[in-house]
Amino acid sequence: MTHLFIVDDEVNVLNSLRRMLLNVAGAPVLPDLRVSVFVSPVEALIHINKQSVDLVISDYRMPEMDGVAFLARVRDLQPDTARIMLSACTDMDAVVRAINEANIFRFVSKPWSDDELKSAIVQVLAHRHLLLENRHLANEVRCQRGVISRQQVELALLERESPGITRVRWTEDGGVLMDD
Amino acid sequence: MVVVSNAPGSDVRKRTGKRVEAADGMSVPKPDAGTGRLDDFAWVYALYELGQTVANGAEPMRVQQDILEHIVKGFEAQSGSIALLVDGTDDVLAIAAGTDLPPGTVGSRLPCGVGVFGHVVATGQPVLINGDVAETGLPLRLHERRDRLTHSAMCWPLRIRERIIGAVAVNRAPDVARYTREDLDRGQVLTSLLAFVIANHRMHVERENRIVELSTLNATMQRMNAALEETQEQLIRSEKMASIGQIAAGVAHEINNPIGFVLSNLGTLGSYLGQLFALLDVYIDAERPLPAPLVPPLDRARALREKSDLTFLRGDIDALMDESRDGILRVKHIVQDLKDFSRGGSEEAWETVSVHDALDRTLNILHNETKYKARIDTHYGELPEIVCVPSRLHQVFLNLVVNAAQSITESGTITISTGTEGGDAWIRFEDSGCGIPPENMDRLFEPFFTTKPVGQGTGLGLSVSSSIVQRHGGRIEVESEVGRGSRFTVHLPLRQAATPWSVPEDVQAGPRGTPVQCM
Repeated sequence: MTHLFIVDDEVNVLNSLRRMLLNVAGAPVLPDLRVSVFVSPVEALIHINKQSVDLVISDYRMPEMDGVAFLARVRDLQPDTARIMLSACTDMDAVVRAINEANIFRFVSKPWSDDELKSAIVQVLAHRHLLLENRHLANEVRCQRGVISRQQVELALLERESPGITRVRWTEDGGVLMDD
Repeated sequence: MVVVSNAPGSDVRKRTGKRVEAADGMSVPKPDAGTGRLDDFAWVYALYELGQTVANGAEPMRVQQDILEHIVKGFEAQSGSIALLVDGTDDVLAIAAGTDLPPGTVGSRLPCGVGVFGHVVATGQPVLINGDVAETGLPLRLHERRDRLTHSAMCWPLRIRERIIGAVAVNRAPDVARYTREDLDRGQVLTSLLAFVIANHRMHVERENRIVELSTLNATMQRMNAALEETQEQLIRSEKMASIGQIAAGVAHEINNPIGFVLSNLGTLGSYLGQLFALLDVYIDAERPLPAPLVPPLDRARALREKSDLTFLRGDIDALMDESRDGILRVKHIVQDLKDFSRGGSEEAWETVSVHDALDRTLNILHNETKYKARIDTHYGELPEIVCVPSRLHQVFLNLVVNAAQSITESGTITISTGTEGGDAWIRFEDSGCGIPPENMDRLFEPFFTTKPVGQGTGLGLSVSSSIVQRHGGRIEVESEVGRGSRFTVHLPLRQAATPWSVPEDVQAGPRGTPVQCM
């Protein structure tokens, strides 16, 4: 399953993107795609804190925090998430910041072309998949050579699927502290 | 031999009064033959008149010379000279006029205190020299032998109020009786008049100079004022353009969001509808073999279907979707143009290309648009390849040709010629179209200014073109006559100054020109 987050302060944009991506009438963009949309970047961050996300698409100009700050935060929380910025703002400054500060994978300008955006999503996810696969294989090799333990490999996998799970805080009586 | 140091100023004035009285009365008998003319009122009047001539435009040096000659004649002298203190100094004398002087003497300078002139100016006392100067006993520092061989000479200081402005001297020929002390006194009276004449004359000269200076200054100020006004106007224009550009960029951002989702929704809606119609087709196919009458719900469905003319709906929905998509794409292009206008275009590569190839490409694309209305004549001159952003230049050419074609109502000619001039290449588009009314000339390159019917022109074609040409370091010139046609000339520098396309400058007002827009 591929989980995709879209953040934009305009609901209509979110709706049209969700329609386009989940359009049952057309050819599916990706098999088993799940799309979550958020009007508020802050709310999106709360969810990203709790679940694994494959790709985050964000607008640049938003009232609570701008897209660069948001995507940079996403990268800190889940470094393996792919990040795309979708914005009507195309001044150099915004683009440069998005690349340098949030390390985005793609910048797509509004108004977007559906086909272009779909292809960007597919490519970015394929790229991400390759990176993860590569890392996993490298870890396997390290493990075989005895550089790291099998347990560390498993932990890395677990952490990717459920961020924060390897950093569980225990209470004195053996209970688990949860964030919410 | 005899040197008379005159009495101080008060005495001079007293005597002056006496002499004037005498002159007025014209009754004083001539003291001797030598200076008879000095008592002639006509002579005095002539001297005064000479002083006035400079006011009538006479050349100053000439006037001084005339005055001197007049004095020489009046004193029945053989020669004479005038030395005046150089402006702004009180110890440098310059020979202002002279008779019988060696060439080059007039204008030469002598220090105060040296020679007879120097002595007279320094002391303010007139001198009479008869015979050898050296024998006078005066502290004259003489430097030339010539000075010593004087038969008879007089030299008076020239005073305006208490200020000495120079001196005048006359020499008598050896065959005429020597000057006497009386002559010196009489001369003293006249020289004060002479001083006034000279001062007057100087003032005239000064005034003339001042007037010339002032009128030069005035002309300069007028020029500067005009330049200032022009700059101010440009500033206002460019500010207007800049604010339009800013608004445009802001508006573009706001509009791009809705364009984005409307366009995307249209696409999704299209595929939804395709799905629905496919489903409908299956129902219709499934229903066809069933005998009539059917079960009641199916009967209702069939009735409704027949009433709603499905074939028409299907066809019209396709048209509707296409038109809507087309409309939103048009909005998208306008917004893109607006952004181009405010930013001068996106970051595109500069290339060295042939302008003629670019023109030919434009004409190929526009062939369908122009072929029924206009014959296109091309007169390409010698043009080297130039550095430009080809797609942008193409856009400019496209705008200008489309405008030319649109200005022609029935049929006409569009002439495209090229050439070089100075360091510029020029590309001229002439049409035999409707022309541009003079009142529109100023607004030609203003964004959103259009005279075309709604839907045909956005009013951005020329403003974008002008902004593109300006980024290339060029300009667009327009000439037009209503009813005869317009002529747009694009000037582009043959060599590009290092102005990177990617650095947006403030939007500047385009050159003035005409409103025919396209896109």
